[in-house]
Amino acid sequence: MSTVPDPQPGSAPEEKGAGATVAARISDQLAVGGVLLPVVTTLFAFLIGGLVVLATGKNPFSTYQAIFEGSGLNWLLPWVGGADRDIAAINLQQTLLITGPLILLGFAVAFAFRTGLFNIGGQGQYIAGSVVAVWIGSSDMGVPGWLQIVLAMLGAAIAGGVWGGIAGLLRATTGANEVITTIMLNYTALWVSFYLFGLGGPLQNDSQPDIPVSNDVVPEARLPVFWGDPELQGLHIGIFFALVAAVFFWLLLNRSTKGFEARAVGFNPDAARASGIHVGRTYVFVMATCGLLAGLAGSLDILGWQFRIATNDIQAFELGFLGIAVALLGRNTAIGTCLAGLLFGALVSGTSVRNLDPAVFEPALASNLTGIIQGLVVLFVVADVMVIAVWKRLSGRGRRRAGGAGTAGNAEPEPAA
Amino acid sequence: MSAVSGMASVGRVRMTPERLGWGGGIVALLAFVLTLPPIAVRTPVPSILLALVAAGMGVAAIRAEARRPGWTAVVAAVLCGVLAWAATTAELGQLEVVASWGALTAAMLRFATPLIFAGLGGLVSERAGVVNIALEGMLIMGAFFAAFGADKTGSWVLGILIGVLAGAALATIHAIWSVSLRADQIVSGTALNFIAAGIAGYLYVDIYGAEGTPDDLPQVPEISLPTESLGFIGRAIANQNLLVWGGLLAVVVVWLVVFRTPLGLRLRSVGENPRAAETVGVNVIRMRYGAVITSGALAALGGAFLSIGFVHSFSEDMIAGRGFIALAALIFGRWTPGGLLLATLLFGFSSALAQRLPEFSPQAATLFQALPYVLTLIAVAGLVGRSRPPAADGVPYQREAG
Amino acid sequence: MGTTPPDAGAAELALELRGITKRFGPVVANDGIDLQLRRGEIHALLGENGAGKSTLMNVVYGMLSADEGEILVGGRRVEITSPRDAMAHGIGMVFQHFMLIPVMTAAENLVLGDEPRRRGLLDRRAARRRVRELSERFGLDVDPDARVEELSVGQQQRLEILRALDRGADILVLDEPTAVLTAQETADLFRVLRELRDRGTSIVFISHKLHEVLEIADRVTVLRRGRSVETLDTAGADEATLARLMVGRDVVLRVEKEPREPEAPILEVSGLHVEDDRGLEAVKGIDLTVRGGEIVAVAGIDGNGQAELIEAITGLRAPSAGTITVAGRDITGADPREARAAGVGHIAQDRHRQGLVLDFSISENLALDRYREGTTATLMSPRRLDEAARRLIDEFDIRGGDCRTPCRSLSGGNQQKVVVAREIAGDPQVLVAAQPTRGLDVGAIEFVHRRLLAEREAGRAILLVSLELEEVRALADRVLVIYEGRIVGEVPPTASDEELGLLMTGGTPSTGAS
Repeated sequence: MSTVPDPQPGSAPEEKGAGATVAARISDQLAVGGVLLPVVTTLFAFLIGGLVVLATGKNPFSTYQAIFEGSGLNWLLPWVGGADRDIAAINLQQTLLITGPLILLGFAVAFAFRTGLFNIGGQGQYIAGSVVAVWIGSSDMGVPGWLQIVLAMLGAAIAGGVWGGIAGLLRATTGANEVITTIMLNYTALWVSFYLFGLGGPLQNDSQPDIPVSNDVVPEARLPVFWGDPELQGLHIGIFFALVAAVFFWLLLNRSTKGFEARAVGFNPDAARASGIHVGRTYVFVMATCGLLAGLAGSLDILGWQFRIATNDIQAFELGFLGIAVALLGRNTAIGTCLAGLLFGALVSGTSVRNLDPAVFEPALASNLTGIIQGLVVLFVVADVMVIAVWKRLSGRGRRRAGGAGTAGNAEPEPAA
Repeated sequence: MSAVSGMASVGRVRMTPERLGWGGGIVALLAFVLTLPPIAVRTPVPSILLALVAAGMGVAAIRAEARRPGWTAVVAAVLCGVLAWAATTAELGQLEVVASWGALTAAMLRFATPLIFAGLGGLVSERAGVVNIALEGMLIMGAFFAAFGADKTGSWVLGILIGVLAGAALATIHAIWSVSLRADQIVSGTALNFIAAGIAGYLYVDIYGAEGTPDDLPQVPEISLPTESLGFIGRAIANQNLLVWGGLLAVVVVWLVVFRTPLGLRLRSVGENPRAAETVGVNVIRMRYGAVITSGALAALGGAFLSIGFVHSFSEDMIAGRGFIALAALIFGRWTPGGLLLATLLFGFSSALAQRLPEFSPQAATLFQALPYVLTLIAVAGLVGRSRPPAADGVPYQREAG
Repeated sequence: MGTTPPDAGAAELALELRGITKRFGPVVANDGIDLQLRRGEIHALLGENGAGKSTLMNVVYGMLSADEGEILVGGRRVEITSPRDAMAHGIGMVFQHFMLIPVMTAAENLVLGDEPRRRGLLDRRAARRRVRELSERFGLDVDPDARVEELSVGQQQRLEILRALDRGADILVLDEPTAVLTAQETADLFRVLRELRDRGTSIVFISHKLHEVLEIADRVTVLRRGRSVETLDTAGADEATLARLMVGRDVVLRVEKEPREPEAPILEVSGLHVEDDRGLEAVKGIDLTVRGGEIVAVAGIDGNGQAELIEAITGLRAPSAGTITVAGRDITGADPREARAAGVGHIAQDRHRQGLVLDFSISENLALDRYREGTTATLMSPRRLDEAARRLIDEFDIRGGDCRTPCRSLSGGNQQKVVVAREIAGDPQVLVAAQPTRGLDVGAIEFVHRRLLAEREAGRAILLVSLELEEVRALADRVLVIYEGRIVGEVPPTASDEELGLLMTGGTPSTGAS
């Protein structure tokens, strides 16, 4: 009965939940850091990556420059011209090729994070989508190309949705932690696809029995290229799907009832439940939607430029995990995820065998460097306490949450009602 | 398959619902074993019958509220029934190759060892209240740096040491993030997996390039025991790596320390109710740091075994998710060393079997590789309702509550 | 600022605090507090929730560090930066929320931090022996091999006291020790405390219950808003004086309640059985009826089934037997959404956990149960939410921000207003109010009480579950007493403290047994 909030260290109830959910902490970051924080985080990660390069006797500056050129982002610089510009254009197309699916994979993680779930299963959901996409895309269906594309993408989305939905269902009904279940589903998807396309597998291609590869996607069912030469893997229209998905993501999260439920559950499942929101159903919906996005990403790659699945490829392309870094760097927002997707897309394509000048830096090394940077980004994003503390000290604002558990905010005396 | 009451008994053993469930699991296993050499019944009929009995026992157990043993029995019945049927359709010769028990058991132990070490690492960390998803990364660090260390110093002992230090170093970062920065432990663990894979891969390519690690990499020695003639178990342990024995020893040591020493008591108290521990003077922060770093060292030992004890080389994808299987084994085993051991032996057995299956059918072998992950899925889904992690597991500890 | 009677005598002070100040950001929890604890006395620390009592003692015990001031033990200045230091100086503390490990045994809990060893291993036999020896010495019986989660609350507390004594405490601090005890257990505790005092232990007894303070303490220091107001002997003091010191003005005003004829029954609960999380029966066959226009209060000590009863009615927990109907509609086993649709409003007892999504804005929280209304093509419009919110903000005088302000920034009272506003705006048939004024200041309490009475006037059925007898008396038309999952009696709000107390602790007024 007083106006001084009661900070009782011994009080058990307040401890666990209030304000400690991932969603809550990220919202705190959004409030505190704005755009500057992700930029600083990225720079820091690149800095440490550069130190690793330096430590192994190579020049970080030329390395990063080579990666930059390999990504084709130099095409945006007006002073680059002539033959360099043409090469940069091709490289940029590669970058954007990867960026599209990466953005989708980022959303597949971001939407889950907003709901308080951690979807590491992007990889498996992506594979599920790819498998169905290549299966439908390589079939002789006798329907117009565009329809086949639509069916393939739909199938891929559903496959991914199911793959993600399983984890959501398990979480909703048995409380099984979605981190473990999605990781297990990742490996399951991996081995099932090895089986499907391996030697003697049911989906192995019909013409070459010694090669563990799928059938090719029929030419009519390939996504049209609108920039660059189709023979040289130009940019296909898939990128637009990614941008549409960004709008859809924003609308879903901020303007739809399902998004409202997802956010409420992400911040405080107890209060959500007490107000009538079905927490379990929300989990299933969210995980299925995330899986759907990841599966769609898989179909974009298959129908856009891969056109087949070989068992060697599946493991090599670890886009699913990059989605985590993309989402976190982008603070689980629509625009942030797009920008972060572009950054990592540039990083991946800039370090690829095709685009990176091996004289400057070995591509195999570079892909590992990407992995290190990706991990560092996630690590720094998640150390929000430290970052926010530093930020607060710098900006002199102490008003927000004075250091801890969610006790009632201001201590201003209450005027008699 | 009568309904179970707590008072019924079979022979002189009092029958409880739990025992019925576990018994069902054993009956299911029996159904499968029947079809394998040396018994090698060639018709599936007795096995199917036994599997049905097992399933029935499982269902009865479930209805009597013993869900975990009950579901285990049902799942085992289905699995073993299928396997038994498959075995009876296979050629006897193929079966004998696959089910040579001595070799299988030996392989089981070998496959289980990295899981044991990583799982023990996870146990120590989680008992102190810190979730450790980065076991995978610690395995990777141990594997690479043990190989690298052994190569550079010419000694497997130093190799192991360097591997362990590398794992501990990674774990230190996890400790800082989880304990001092109070970051989300699962996300930071995931990040460390990426970083570890990246660092190990980077250094591997840089140093060893296309040829890979040298063929004369110093090995952790095997220990020969004169037990060849003591049945299939004797054959299995006759020639095992030092670290395999190390793993089994580690189980005992960890059990002793965590459950029988004052240090272990304090460790567990920190994982259950850190504030309570603080009030009696236990230094929660120091305890958690110690636990996490130890877990890194233990897990790294598992990685070291893999690279310089088992495969005799390092390659970029050699860990292949074993860190997560170890975590699953930990959950399956209810965060106890004994349970962990049983779970890792089960998963090890599955891997051993998978290794020999290509004799039988390459496609089936590929599919079989997914089994540990599927089993884990079932385990986590079916058991989570019953198993209880340390009460403060995953919750960052704040010394001065605002 | 504490006034000690001039004849402090030759007794040396066991513990003295001078000018202790502790801040949490802009909030000053302790403001220059002086305290003098004599040897062999029971000294009460009295104050309302949030007056700073617990903070002060946490500073003494080393869980928090003071910003200013000094601590003297036995006349000598000491530095206490951790519980280990405190224990080294002979200070032991029993917290309000027990600091025990539920899955470990009593013996293990007792020796934690100071374990007996044998060849490097934990010596369990020695631990058990220690428990038994202490039990005998101090007359506090605890089974060493029982797991703490199996012990009763009173036994757990005994264990905590034993542990403090085991570490050699001659200064014992107890934080609201009777909050979770039955009357019998409280009497036992007081007996023990007196014995300890007679043996020379100095005791600090933190409480907000006036009659207990007068019963057990020798002297009492009153804290108010972080400052020590006065220290006086309890002999010769009375409740009114203490209350005035605690609150700073004459005792709490009571809102006027008009008599009202209740209407038709709205909430009918019949033969309700509900299990708790561990599968034990928490509600063992409750019947109750609440009519429109009446407030029925369920009074009882925390942990006697109130939580499960509320959860069953509001749909958060499915009952194992019995029926619940609202205006004739059966909602037994319904989920929260269905319960709400049937007309059940719920002012949750923990507004941070169940009542609000703190990171959501006021608008969003006000719409937490009806966000699906008014959506066109499944798209929600924040503007519509804001419009609705503004009306409620006006009506309920919610202050601290506009409709977009996150609820985290509001004070406790305003947060509760949001909850109350939302629930009432849903036009429920029956309003379940659980601890509606917990942790609120006087102004907010008055608001909530007025509002509940207004709803009663408007014809709603209100089920009030409260631990505060004051509140129960102020609001209720009928009082049901719950004890161990059953309604053991129905009394008018004018019933005496003794009658209520007896019922709440399982006795029957006629026999006086308990």
